[in-house]
Amino acid sequence: MAAEKKHFVCVVCPIGCEIDVVYDGSEIISMEGNKCEKSEEFVRQELIGPMRILTTTVRIQGSRLPVIPVRTDKSVPKRLFPRMMKQLRRIKLQAPVNMLDVVARDVLHTGANIIATRTMLRE
Amino acid sequence: MIREVDVAVIGSGPAGLTAAIHAHNSGARKVLLLEREEELGGILKQCIHNGFGLEQFKQDYTGPEYAERLIKELEKTGVQCFLNTLVTDLSSERVITALSPEHGALEIKAKSIVLAMGCRERTGPSIGIPGTRPAGIFTAGVAQRFVNIDGYLPGKKVVILGSGDIGLIMARRLTLEGARVIGVYEIMNYPGGLKRNIVQCLNDFDVPLHLSHTVTEIRGKERVGGVVISKVDSSLHPVQGTEKSIECDTLLLSVGLIPENELSKKAGIELSGATKGPITTETMETSVPGIFTCGNVSAVFDLVDYVAQTGAAAGTFAARYASGSLSADRRPVDIVAGENVRLLFPQRYGFQDDLVLFIRAAEPVEKPVTIEVAPPGSKINRLYARPNEMLRVKVPKEKLAEAKQPIKVSIMEK
Repeated sequence: MAAEKKHFVCVVCPIGCEIDVVYDGSEIISMEGNKCEKSEEFVRQELIGPMRILTTTVRIQGSRLPVIPVRTDKSVPKRLFPRMMKQLRRIKLQAPVNMLDVVARDVLHTGANIIATRTMLRE
Repeated sequence: MIREVDVAVIGSGPAGLTAAIHAHNSGARKVLLLEREEELGGILKQCIHNGFGLEQFKQDYTGPEYAERLIKELEKTGVQCFLNTLVTDLSSERVITALSPEHGALEIKAKSIVLAMGCRERTGPSIGIPGTRPAGIFTAGVAQRFVNIDGYLPGKKVVILGSGDIGLIMARRLTLEGARVIGVYEIMNYPGGLKRNIVQCLNDFDVPLHLSHTVTEIRGKERVGGVVISKVDSSLHPVQGTEKSIECDTLLLSVGLIPENELSKKAGIELSGATKGPITTETMETSVPGIFTCGNVSAVFDLVDYVAQTGAAAGTFAARYASGSLSADRRPVDIVAGENVRLLFPQRYGFQDDLVLFIRAAEPVEKPVTIEVAPPGSKINRLYARPNEMLRVKVPKEKLAEAKQPIKVSIMEK
């Protein structure tokens, strides 16, 4: 594969370095614009496949509110977001739910669990 | 019946919760927290995304997690909370009038008061848009509440006017929930929200950001049917001939926030023209003795960590005021905006504590800058100054002992 120029904005810290990378499909040939090494790791992961925390809501019954906020307990591949959202739409919880309760395990075989991000009492 | 308390805190978002905890921990015996909603936590409850408390707790919390951590901490203090309680009046003698289904009409006399009512979303620029007024126009925060608390989608084809952080967050949220976000249109030539939100909320989901663009017409009868977008020139006026018609069913407004100061005005508190919040000293005391302020009711902050920091100061000094141990032997001096400073907070220095200054630059400087606080002539270096990212600098109390009227704050290229 021919070397390709790519542009990234690092989100590791608020500085937001604008980074120019030349990448040949397996190795980083050059990297410019980053102020620390942390962004190197960030760019490497972005090149392989961006990882993010997914935050969303799922349905809940028996509580004052109809939805409860949830998130993945670690970063998951961003490209799986649409499929994860589809799967989470099928979930219906029963109150009470405590903050950090596991709502779904090993979602899409990522090794990540979906956890509740607040407590919701039965009402 | 008039209830008497040491410290009354109005509002239970991150600022109010932190203030109540710190007032208790600083020795105030009777602390009362007043919240108009059914539960504590304020706007954090609908901010289900992560990125909260990175600095304060070294944790990447979502809004609800951050709130629950503070609420648990508050529960340990035994601070009394009145929920569903709407404060309707506030006097300069520190008497609060409030209404609550449980407690009826309330009159509360407090030795000191902390204002923590937060902010509102601006709608002003949208009022000037020509066209019809159909359903389907929401502020970004209202849409956020619909999706994250009430569980329904406000629209399917969305245009976002303004690039404030809530608008960016909602671009991602609505995309995840299956809506199509056509684009974010920003009248300025730089984004309003944080850079990390541009990357994680727009770029990640292929939502385009159009700088120097605005909505010049709203179309539709019952429901929004579309909008007209125009380029703007350097004086922000729409350029004729650049109009583009876009079909959509929803228009979200993310055009800024403004401190909620109905009560502050009733108490006769002096407001700042720049922040639109009360003028305060480093102890968070307003121009009315014994009334303190913190969080987004004082100035709109970028990060919850900053909000909590002002809450901690307000709670601590409100407790000291209530116990009579806050000395006021020196007149506060003014802190004024110098070169490239659009606004700053606090606006006065009262010689009680270190000065933690929050500064918003007027123009972006993408190279190293020096922030000068003079007198005493302290110079603090930063890598850049951007209007969408507040600068925070600290000047120790010892250095300020000789400070004279006024202290001038400037941002200069190095």
